[in-house]
Amino acid sequence: MAVTAGPSPTDAAPVRSPRAWLSQYSWLGMGFAFTLSLFYLVMFVIPFGTAIWLSFHNWDYIQKPVFVKTRNFAKLFGDSGFWDALWNTVRFSSVEIFVALSLALLLALALSHLRPVYQYTLLAVYNLPVIMPGVVSVLLWKWLYRTNGGAFNAILETVGLPAQPFSKSPDQALWCITLMVVWIFLGNSSIVLLAAINEVPDSLLEAAQLDGASAWKRFTAVTLPLIQPAMAYQVVTSIIGTMQMFEPFQLMPGPGHSTRTLSLYTYQLGFEVLNLGYGAAVSIAMFVILLSATLFELQRRRRSWDY
Amino acid sequence: MTATTTDLARLSTPYWQRTRWQTWLLIAVLIGGGFVMLYPFAWLVLSAFKLPADIIRIPPTLWPEEWSLEAFQVVLSHKIGGGSLTRSYINSIFVTVVTVIAVLITSTLGGYCFARLRFPLREPLFYFVLSTTMVPFLTLLIPLYIVMDRLELLNTLWVLIVPSVFSSFGIFLCRQFVYGIPVELYDAAKIDGAGDFTIYTRIIVGMMKPVISVLAIFSFRATFNDYLWPLVTITDGGNYTLPLALRGIGNSFGWFDYSKVMASSLLTLIPPLIVFFIFQRNLVKGIALTGIKG
Repeated sequence: MAVTAGPSPTDAAPVRSPRAWLSQYSWLGMGFAFTLSLFYLVMFVIPFGTAIWLSFHNWDYIQKPVFVKTRNFAKLFGDSGFWDALWNTVRFSSVEIFVALSLALLLALALSHLRPVYQYTLLAVYNLPVIMPGVVSVLLWKWLYRTNGGAFNAILETVGLPAQPFSKSPDQALWCITLMVVWIFLGNSSIVLLAAINEVPDSLLEAAQLDGASAWKRFTAVTLPLIQPAMAYQVVTSIIGTMQMFEPFQLMPGPGHSTRTLSLYTYQLGFEVLNLGYGAAVSIAMFVILLSATLFELQRRRRSWDY
Repeated sequence: MTATTTDLARLSTPYWQRTRWQTWLLIAVLIGGGFVMLYPFAWLVLSAFKLPADIIRIPPTLWPEEWSLEAFQVVLSHKIGGGSLTRSYINSIFVTVVTVIAVLITSTLGGYCFARLRFPLREPLFYFVLSTTMVPFLTLLIPLYIVMDRLELLNTLWVLIVPSVFSSFGIFLCRQFVYGIPVELYDAAKIDGAGDFTIYTRIIVGMMKPVISVLAIFSFRATFNDYLWPLVTITDGGNYTLPLALRGIGNSFGWFDYSKVMASSLLTLIPPLIVFFIFQRNLVKGIALTGIKG
């Protein structure tokens, strides 16, 4: 979404006296700006500053914080817990985004061939999991995944496949969570893509068809380039959403640390181990990683649609 | 606004003149996919009505042998750390309603102020608000907890409301929308002698209805479903919201009693389902408008 610039305060008449200076401004605007600044000071600036400050200290919430210079960040590099959490986050996030986006694209393409009334009805069904609180989804899937008498193992058994340990296995647990998250967000992603596909002008597709382009060629040469901005937007919001996801990893954990992500690690350091300084350092690292991933993706995509 | 804001629906005939059976095949595949999507949900709904003997059957059966309301009776009288499911219901509704109303007021007013009114540092302040969305909530979690502790708000329902009364995303969305309202309308009202606040209440709010319903849904979903922040700040069962109460129920009933967990999940889903069915079209438009996830 482009940010439109409004009339800027500097356009105003030259300043004569403080009274005249003040009179060019709106009282409502100034009152709102003051309240807003106060809110963001307490709820954002102070916490963010504290996070940075804390990352250079050791604190257990009870005794006095001790300044440790950059030791927390040095510790980060040698901490296998951090690297495992990062690896889990990256694996989960990239696979979820790839699978969810591919399926969503297929779904959106199929829906775009239908009449709007069918589009809305089917979307309502595919979109149902999005409105469920994360805790409900996790409690439900945890139960379906259970090894003995779980619904998924019952299905495997009926089609003659061996029962799987699912969340009980360190190799499968992360992918069990990934599948559930795909289920939650599939409908959501396809709405964005469907809106973009519906925007593709029919005339372009007709022209391509008259030139003898196959259905596949029309998709790759016409539709796909035109929905690039929507895809990029979807990828970026998915990066932000999946990297911060918390409920499944806390409520449906695999054995050991097989599903511990950066978000869960931050939470555990801050509220279970009470190592607030190190927890803050991990969370700052998470901020830097998220910011780089987002900017990298935006940059990469932008190059591909500047034509 | 962006190209995606136009209605999803297009009434013109598509370029691909499909045969009737191809369309039906497509619909059949999509309905099949819909059943796959609904399959886990069916387990939730049907298992809530099962008796204990039914729920532990191996292999499990989707359809209840005998329909029973026992699970609902048990969870409704179950105590969760000094609270109950009913108590959490009231807490959740209270927190959600207050937050949604607050977000709607601050966002529409903020959008109007940033788009139309003059005040010092207007642009820097707006870009600052926008940039706060880049910082993940997890980075602010620990220090925000400390701030709330200092303000002595921990373990009250206000700790769930206060940090969300301003929404960066909401202000951004509303500002973009107000730019779409002709500035002449504002100038005309100004010449007629209307003050800034009168213009906001009489003209701007009325024109912002589409964006208000979208914001209301997003804000409802974010507040009602929130788990991490309440988990950290609320320890007293009497102040639990529904996600916390559900976690408590999930911990106190095992696999053998899972109909209780499913029954409380089903009860929890009632408010979101009502909102969902009333606003489904707005939700679809809203997601198309913003592409927001989660």
